[in-house]
Amino acid sequence: MPKRLRHPIRVARLAVPIPELYELTDPIVEASAITKYFGDFRAVHDLSLAVPAGSIYGLLGPNGAGKSTSLRILLGIIEPDGGTRRLLGSPDPQSARHRIGYLPEERGLYPNMKAREAIAFMGALRGLDWAEGRKRGAVMMEELELGRVVDEKIRKMSKGMAQMIQLIGSIVHSPELIVLDEPFSGLDPVNQERLEAMIRRERTRGATILFSTHVMAHAERLCDRLAIIARSERQFEGSVDAARALLPMQVRYTPRDAAATDAALRALLPADAEWRGDSWHFAISDDGAEDLLTRLVSGGHGIAGLSIARPGLHDAFVHIVRQADGDYDGRDAADAESGEAA
Amino acid sequence: MTRFLRAVAIIARRDFLAIVATPTFLLFLLAPFFMVAFGTIGGLGASQLAVNTRDSGQIIAVVSPADGALLDKADKALRTGFGEVGSPARLVIKTDMPVPRGPDAARAAATRFGGDVHALLAGPIDTPTIIERNRGGASGRYLTLLADIVVRDRAARARVAPVIPVFAAMDTAQAPSSAARQQLGFMAVFILFLLTLLLAGQAVGMLAEEKGNKVIEILAAAVPLEAVFVGKLIGLLGVSMLFIAFWGTLAGFGLFVATGAPGVGAVLGGFGPAIGWPAFLALGIVYFIMAFLLLGAVFLGVGAQAGSVREIQMLSLPITITQVAMFGLASAAASAPGERLATIAQAIPFSSPYAMAARAATDASLSVHLLAILWQGLWVALVIAVSVRLFRNGVLGSGWSLWRRKRRA
Repeated sequence: MPKRLRHPIRVARLAVPIPELYELTDPIVEASAITKYFGDFRAVHDLSLAVPAGSIYGLLGPNGAGKSTSLRILLGIIEPDGGTRRLLGSPDPQSARHRIGYLPEERGLYPNMKAREAIAFMGALRGLDWAEGRKRGAVMMEELELGRVVDEKIRKMSKGMAQMIQLIGSIVHSPELIVLDEPFSGLDPVNQERLEAMIRRERTRGATILFSTHVMAHAERLCDRLAIIARSERQFEGSVDAARALLPMQVRYTPRDAAATDAALRALLPADAEWRGDSWHFAISDDGAEDLLTRLVSGGHGIAGLSIARPGLHDAFVHIVRQADGDYDGRDAADAESGEAA
Repeated sequence: MTRFLRAVAIIARRDFLAIVATPTFLLFLLAPFFMVAFGTIGGLGASQLAVNTRDSGQIIAVVSPADGALLDKADKALRTGFGEVGSPARLVIKTDMPVPRGPDAARAAATRFGGDVHALLAGPIDTPTIIERNRGGASGRYLTLLADIVVRDRAARARVAPVIPVFAAMDTAQAPSSAARQQLGFMAVFILFLLTLLLAGQAVGMLAEEKGNKVIEILAAAVPLEAVFVGKLIGLLGVSMLFIAFWGTLAGFGLFVATGAPGVGAVLGGFGPAIGWPAFLALGIVYFIMAFLLLGAVFLGVGAQAGSVREIQMLSLPITITQVAMFGLASAAASAPGERLATIAQAIPFSSPYAMAARAATDASLSVHLLAILWQGLWVALVIAVSVRLFRNGVLGSGWSLWRRKRRA
């Protein structure tokens, strides 16, 4: 069962209910209370998550949050110090290797291999016939407009191109689960678009995609569900909308009346409204738009501009991470105090 | 199991081709040519030096003209019985100077002739004084022998027919001596040791490539690490077998040509191993493979832990020294077949392949080899398992499942 947030998000003025974490009927990846230390460094703590079959699942977090370590534990590359995991129905991730595609954070290819051979090699490692891998590799490279370098050695390619080759190698055997660690890093916008399209295509084929990133735009566009990790702990799990719903609607109001800072107008707005540039900025609850509009119209200051929008995933992410930082520092201080008292 | 073997084959194939299909492999393959060429040049130089040293040496006889003539005749007759190598130093007969009388005068004369004089005979031939540079040396004895012949010849004035010995080579092909078999055993130990040290040592840097270009993460995620290690060993073994096949073919051809030369066939026949040549050669190949896998697994495992080339070099030295010690043990075992030392060398895993190859030269039993191969195979598996554990723990940052510590919640 996915974990509830331990520290309810504090929302200014308007209380947005934290959504219930999801009942997942068919998780293809499950982790329960996974913990990992490197020496005294806590890399992952008490991580639980469930990735539904056929979904695109994002593992989000700032640098050093423990995303890559979590993925490596889930894949069985390293062993956790505590907790359990289940991949494609098996408690032993290594038994499902040939059904998984993996793009590690640190990209690696043999520089003297030709592109097509590198793809075939990676496919062969996952059980695909070598000749079939060569054939499929050439087709997939053609689809990504890389056909001209199909027999080029990796060392002669640009970093981004080699990354695309490795990505193809990760999925050439048509895996059921595709795990991508920071797949967009190092790619130019055109290749990022291609990669997004490829991820969607793989999901359409029936694959489940689990990827890590700290770039919110990709996660917002792609993810059905996501987990946010900060300070080695999972801070959130749910849909993109649920993450965004953690923050209230944001209003930007530009009055027509020149006397914008008039006390009468100020009285119509929430107490924490701020005047920035030529507009008022403030938050309202999800059901507060009608009431606001009524008040603004009846106030007689006119409406030169008005936008009411849900904050993006970026804002939600920053909010969650900052709160986790605050909680962590607070716990550290409390630990230090109790230590001194003892 | 099939999937494991498949993974091994894929890794081995990649590594084999990555090594063989490069220009540097030619350099690797032909390296012994350079060794042989330099060895030949050095050998020729050393040989010439030895000849020069021998030719510059002299033995001198300061005698009367009559004795000188007899000595010369005896020297010529006697010298024909020596070969090129064993021949005494050149005899110089001095009849144009006063014959020294007594040891002091003879010693003074020898000193005057300089440092190349090995021995000097002075005085009447029937009561000569012989001065020799090295006490008990062959040159002094040779002069004594010459003088003895001259004296006997003169005294007897014999008209006895000379003894004409008939020399013939002993037929050793049918019954090789135990010493020859021990020599063969030692040769087997030496060849196996040299090959494994030269070829298995390459394994030390094999995982450095994957660690350097980050491919190790892909391999570790896709196949069992054991398959990666075994695959790399098999790939390098393939390269080594190619190397051995190339040089083995050349050596075999050379041997085939040489056996046509008089005497060589008989010499080779004298080395017949107890187990027979076909089985001996087959076992030699098997023991090379086992020695290669054992040593290669250690090199691979240790090299996998290294973080830099410098560390690799530092770590290689203790392994090489240990291996030289194993060679010493196996060599001693080869010269003491059937003794406790041989049993110990055959039981210690890292000297076992060498010692067992030596045993095949002197002992005809076959079943013990099956046992030894199984024993060595077990150790190969053990070394790989430990290497993988260490790699997973140290390099990948995973943990020992048995030693995993409980952390605070």
